[in-house]
Amino acid sequence: MTWKNPLKILFCGWLVLQLSGCGDSEKKTDEPPPAAKAAPETSSPPAPKISLVTAKTRETYQWYCSQCHGLKGKGDGVNARLLTVPPRDHTKADYLETRTDQQLFDAIKLGGLAVGRAPCMPSWGHTLDEKMIHSLVRYIRELCECEAF
Amino acid sequence: MRFIPFAMSLGFLIWVSPVQADSTLTEKHGCSSCHRFSAEASKEPAKTPDLFYAGNKFQKPWLEKFLQSPVVVRKVGTSTDPDFLKQPLTSTPPHPSLTEKEALAMADYLMSLTLPDLSQGTVDDVPLTKGTRVRVKILFERNYGCIACHEGINLAGQARGGISGPSLANAGNRLAADWVFHWLKTPKKFIAKGRMPYFNLDDESAVKLTKYILSLKVGDWK
Repeated sequence: MTWKNPLKILFCGWLVLQLSGCGDSEKKTDEPPPAAKAAPETSSPPAPKISLVTAKTRETYQWYCSQCHGLKGKGDGVNARLLTVPPRDHTKADYLETRTDQQLFDAIKLGGLAVGRAPCMPSWGHTLDEKMIHSLVRYIRELCECEAF
Repeated sequence: MRFIPFAMSLGFLIWVSPVQADSTLTEKHGCSSCHRFSAEASKEPAKTPDLFYAGNKFQKPWLEKFLQSPVVVRKVGTSTDPDFLKQPLTSTPPHPSLTEKEALAMADYLMSLTLPDLSQGTVDDVPLTKGTRVRVKILFERNYGCIACHEGINLAGQARGGISGPSLANAGNRLAADWVFHWLKTPKKFIAKGRMPYFNLDDESAVKLTKYILSLKVGDWK
């Protein structure tokens, strides 16, 4: 075994830990929920690299997402202070640049629990079509002024 | 001749009491300036909850009590209001209160407002078993994340959860089971565009969630 293999193992472990909650103050659950176990099977096809942010994207974000994430995406929606796990601040690049577009897409489409994150984020896959979800991912990239590295 | 004043008094009594259980009461109190009493009443989105299906949605005892002593169900307003969340967070203006007589008549009238094609009896009266209730509570709070926008009740019996949606902490005394079921299954029957995610629930899951929501009760509303 080369020294690179333990690094890979460490990286995988870190990734699993990161995916296990939607906030820095996330409490780990005793066992993964059924939806989280099913996540890899229900994972969606890779997100396209280019998706336009339109007025409808912003309107959709304001209509649905702002309830928790706030009108400007700062994670300060009306529900924020009442949740055990704070909603993600979409203007903070330090976390969001560690997420791929696909991970953001899956979190929106399948909900937090299904992708091993906090259950406070519901699934929007039956409410929004995939094109809109891709567009929302791009909008979040606009808000954080960051890309996945 | 002595009969005439008596007859006039009797006629006055018949006219005055009981309070008329029809739309004149809602007109008197200006209810339609805030609530919609038919889906076609306004092209504008509703700023307060629609009442044209109140008879499907509410439990009559709750309505009677609410109309006399209003409580805040939507702490930050109604989600269909175009200005929802765009204004600074303030307390919701109190709902006008009615006298007991008016409240009873108004509740009678509101309970007569129903949608013709809404099936009834989908949810039976059998409560969830203790074990099933725990599992459905997990569905409610974790799998579907309802608690992010709605208040439920925590283990200490206190309201807990988000406030962008109506509080469900007293849903068991407020809402009718069949309406909750239909709302979960086909919300577009009631509202063109809400802010709640649609979950495409199967009937069994919708019934279980309905029964769980109907088990949420606070205070001495019985």
